Amino acid sequence: MEVNVTRRQFLKLSGAVAATLAVVELGFDEKSVKAQSEEFKIAKLTPTPTICPYCSVGCGILVYANEDDVVYTEGDPDHPINEGTLCSKGTTVRQVYTSEKRVTKPMYRAPGSSKWEEVDWDFALDKVAKNIKETRDKTFMEKENGITVNRTDAIAYLGGAALDNEECHLLQKLFRAGLGLSYIEHQARI
Amino acid sequence: MMADYIKFVDVTKCDGCRACMVACKNWNDLPTVTEEYSGSIQSHAKVNAHTWNVITYNEHETANGGFEWLFRHQSCLHCVEAACEKACPEDAISHTEFGSVVIDHDKCVGCGYCVQNCTFDVVELATYKDKHGKEYRRAQKCTLCTDRLEQGLEPACVTACHTDCLIYDEKEKVLSEAEQRLAKIKERFPNANIYNPQGIKGTTTVYLLADKPSVYGLPENPKVPLSQIVWKDYAQPLGKAMFGVTTMAVVGSVIAHAMNREKGEHKGGQDHE
Amino acid sequence: MTNHWNDLQFADVLMVIGANPAENHPISFRWISKALEKGGKLISVDPRYTRTSQMANVYGQLRSGTDIAFIGGMINYVLENELYHKEYVAHYTNAAYIVADTYKFEDGMFSGYDEATRKYDQSQWAFKTDEEGNVLTDPTLTDPNCVYQLMKKHYARYDIDTVVGVTGTDKDTYLDICKTYGSTGEVGKAGTILYAMGGTQHTVGTQNIRAYAILQLLLGNIGIAGGGVNALRGESNVQGSTDFGLLYHNVPGYMEVPTGSEGDSTYQGFLERITPTSGYWVNKPKFYTSMLKSFYGDNATVDNEFGYHFMPKIAPGKDYSFMRLFDAMHRKELEGLILFGSNPVVGGPNSFKEQAAMANLKWMVAVDLFETETSAFWQKEAGNDPASVQTEVIFLPACSSFEKEGSVTNSGRWMQYRWQGIAPKGESRADLEITHMLARRLKELYKNESTPAAKQINALYWNYGDDDHPDIELVCKDINGYDWKTKKQIQSFGDLQDDGSTTAGCWIYTGFYPENENLAKRRDNTNEGMSNFLNWSFAWPANRRILYNRASADLNGKAWSKERVGIEWNAQEGKWTGYDIPDFVATKGPDDPTFNDPFIMMAGGKGAIYAASKLNEGPFPEHYEPYENPISNAFSSVQLNPAVQFGEEEMNAKGEADKYPIVATTYRLSEHWQSGAMTRNVPWLAELVNHMFIEISEELAKEKGIKEKDKVIVATARGEIEAYAMITKRFKPYKLKEKTVHHIGMPWHFGYKGIATGATANRLTPHIGCANSTIPEYKAFLCDVRRV
Repeated sequence: MEVNVTRRQFLKLSGAVAATLAVVELGFDEKSVKAQSEEFKIAKLTPTPTICPYCSVGCGILVYANEDDVVYTEGDPDHPINEGTLCSKGTTVRQVYTSEKRVTKPMYRAPGSSKWEEVDWDFALDKVAKNIKETRDKTFMEKENGITVNRTDAIAYLGGAALDNEECHLLQKLFRAGLGLSYIEHQARI
Repeated sequence: MMADYIKFVDVTKCDGCRACMVACKNWNDLPTVTEEYSGSIQSHAKVNAHTWNVITYNEHETANGGFEWLFRHQSCLHCVEAACEKACPEDAISHTEFGSVVIDHDKCVGCGYCVQNCTFDVVELATYKDKHGKEYRRAQKCTLCTDRLEQGLEPACVTACHTDCLIYDEKEKVLSEAEQRLAKIKERFPNANIYNPQGIKGTTTVYLLADKPSVYGLPENPKVPLSQIVWKDYAQPLGKAMFGVTTMAVVGSVIAHAMNREKGEHKGGQDHE
Repeated sequence: MTNHWNDLQFADVLMVIGANPAENHPISFRWISKALEKGGKLISVDPRYTRTSQMANVYGQLRSGTDIAFIGGMINYVLENELYHKEYVAHYTNAAYIVADTYKFEDGMFSGYDEATRKYDQSQWAFKTDEEGNVLTDPTLTDPNCVYQLMKKHYARYDIDTVVGVTGTDKDTYLDICKTYGSTGEVGKAGTILYAMGGTQHTVGTQNIRAYAILQLLLGNIGIAGGGVNALRGESNVQGSTDFGLLYHNVPGYMEVPTGSEGDSTYQGFLERITPTSGYWVNKPKFYTSMLKSFYGDNATVDNEFGYHFMPKIAPGKDYSFMRLFDAMHRKELEGLILFGSNPVVGGPNSFKEQAAMANLKWMVAVDLFETETSAFWQKEAGNDPASVQTEVIFLPACSSFEKEGSVTNSGRWMQYRWQGIAPKGESRADLEITHMLARRLKELYKNESTPAAKQINALYWNYGDDDHPDIELVCKDINGYDWKTKKQIQSFGDLQDDGSTTAGCWIYTGFYPENENLAKRRDNTNEGMSNFLNWSFAWPANRRILYNRASADLNGKAWSKERVGIEWNAQEGKWTGYDIPDFVATKGPDDPTFNDPFIMMAGGKGAIYAASKLNEGPFPEHYEPYENPISNAFSSVQLNPAVQFGEEEMNAKGEADKYPIVATTYRLSEHWQSGAMTRNVPWLAELVNHMFIEISEELAKEKGIKEKDKVIVATARGEIEAYAMITKRFKPYKLKEKTVHHIGMPWHFGYKGIATGATANRLTPHIGCANSTIPEYKAFLCDVRRV
């Protein structure tokens, strides 16, 4: 991926150089200042541009991540709408990843059960596919009043306003054109 | 030598979004400090050891019967003459070349004198546990993101601010623009003023307030108490030379006690894991 | 949005009504602030004083559900004081059209009403035509039956005193707003209206927006920089999800879903029904056929009507929308529910009833990042006895937006790409992958069957890769469309064909991926003029940034204002040039009969002050009171929108003013989002707003003996919730003509899951919606409040 990004700096000159010079010149505690510089949390990370997942302004965000964690997120200074700024939600997008509440494994709740069980993806997907097929086969209407209708009114689909366009396209295509659902709705209606 | 920079807060441009609050937590990796319901939309009564800036919300009835919902980004003002620095017996608090007042945690012993003497009630003690489970305390507050300044980056709160309520720029330029802005908003906010108290030789975070400082809970004309100046600038260096550091800490506690009385009741640090 | 976010800086006056951008679209204020710094004026109209109101020059208090009265009065003021843009109104709108004599309006009712079905015969509102079917016009606007005169007559009833007696707005403030906003009718000035769900979530929601549009047409504010009717959409991709047809009544690109009616029984018959005789939609058969080709590939042929009969046909006249879906669930007509990032237990109207209906499901699939109140509806915390809920629930963990790649379309229609910043957390996966994996498994299950159900899924063209990891490049190309034979991507939707030779998954996006460059990935932020950023990402349609931009110029094609040049007719070059992509063929010159027809999607090309069809309750917006309301309608004896449809009675208990005298509304906060799954689970946001609260005026608090930090109970005919009282000066009692009415408000983000938890406001809201869109009336209902 080749995406050019810049940082929003207040100093035109190289800040790091200026700082080092100043420390020597003014005789401040070099040890603590230097230690902070070395720990500069995004020094070695290349940010990835994304667009905020919350409202529809469509602000640019830079994601600073290492291999196993998101270290920092900040407004994308190159983005013409937000120009590096963000609101409280956009600023905290890092924690959408880091939140301990994230569900990271498929879960299954059997009829009448009082708890979730962690399951593997194959089990979960096979269950879903089987359920869809059973209900669909039982309720599929090929014709209604002599007219070909090829639909089922017994399965409903909801959601999509926070998904990507490509995902919305596949969902609509699968559930309407492929499976014949009529109950297809999402947040735009509410 | 580079030009002087300051952080400028034009409260009349703030729309109360609180991005600055979380931008600070995000950059500085600060934990949450969730408070009880306050009766208003304000999340924290004031800044604390892990919440270095807070937006205050004030439903204010103006003198002419009008209504203004006043927002203010509350954080360390980075006083030029800083009471916390004067009060610190360990020389843990200092000014950087950016004018920011920072606490060296290798030196801080968590005595709390800075907390008790802060002109603006900003510094708080955070409680941590070492690897043996033993509790210890360190003073905490806004650093003006000095680590970012060193890299030529604005403080995180300033970077996030979308209305340019917060800016970080050359002092002379900002102050002259502030005067123009002040003239512009006087019609709606007749009591508006630039808050850069000279009793403490000015601050590195300067405010344009929509109403009198007292409306925002700010002292009208703060000063560093004389006792602190005596302590820091005369007694401490002299004492260390004469009696050594240990004895001086004892003397220090006596003087600090006097300073506490001078300031009145103290609220105590906050404990959070 | 007809315009876009950066464009807000060019407005002289911004009127925010039914929105709260400072809180819900904060970065819009970066651009609103710029307009204000240049001397622009901001008007905030809202039931309570919000963070937007604080930033505004004028704040007007308005009782929830009275937008049409408010705007109707403004329309009347603009007409009476002749503030409207005369040339624009006469030439770019249908003001001159003459309406048939069958049109009548009397005591709140238009002609053609059938009480039994609560429907109008819209043919009675048609335009008068000559023998060839051409609409008769009167360019002098004096014919008593021309649109202009009918509008004038209709809104003459909306005099200032009647209006403020209904809306509760202070009279001087209201006049100030009329005058300030009316000033944008001057040639060369620009005013913009920003609205959101405060406009749409009413039984008259669509007509609220129509009222905004009429005002904007009168003032010449559409098509120009700093103008427009701007819907501030609520979610990052609700624009895209709507564009892509995730609603029962639309396939991608805002085209119709076929019905099981006789007329739709052939593709030809269906196309004839949905294709108008003029306007850009005459191309619809090309778009539809290309879409069918994308859906069914080689299985879409000339012989089988391009696979038209594989498409499901919905029952004619049946409403499958959100609330009716839950009605059906309540009646046990649904066995399965599939949720992708959706949490109706918090977000749906009368949500406790909707939750109860879920227990009738045989199975549910929830795809989400966090455990939602909906996926956990069977739990004890939800108030259920798990043992008695027989629904099988499968939760599939999705990853977040920056753990995958793909594009989203913002409110200004910018399709922007998001790159992957980190691998999906744990075993979570992208929704794209989940959908693809599911499709592959279903195809596998059906592959050896030949039932009608199997034939449909077997016919589906699913070419996104041979393993469980879909190739997003192939999905993007499918959306854009390509030549079926050569597989070469289509350059623009103008090149699509109706003979099966081209594909287009969503025709309005065709052109975003011509040849080798996905234009949604463009990051050139050069401002080449008027902040349209034509080389940043891609805006549908055809990268146009301001819709109806022909109207930015006068009858000769010259910009109305030098400060607001959109596009201009350049006689030398023989084409339109400027800072935007023209909304039409760029070489269309003054000799073309449609040169002065800016509204390209309308038959006739004129902006619709009068809607001769399509709107269920009439051609002009008329004020009706909300389903639940405290006073009688001051404008007519008709209380409720006569075209509103009622659903399942048991889902929609109604409260009366004697028992529930207080008006209530719901809203969002800056710090939370939607049903809260993505904010109440984020520690720093949960910290900012951790408690559910009810905003109450000081006056009401005093009357009810409620003190600061007390807990209160809000009760409606649907149920009760308990939360903290927030006593505020920002709500004031409404002094209406009939009586003084109290008004409260509350955020709807809360639920019992997550870090920040609290009572769900939607347990209180009614299960009834707009007569056109069926969006629920969350914004105005009746309640009572008491101390715990």
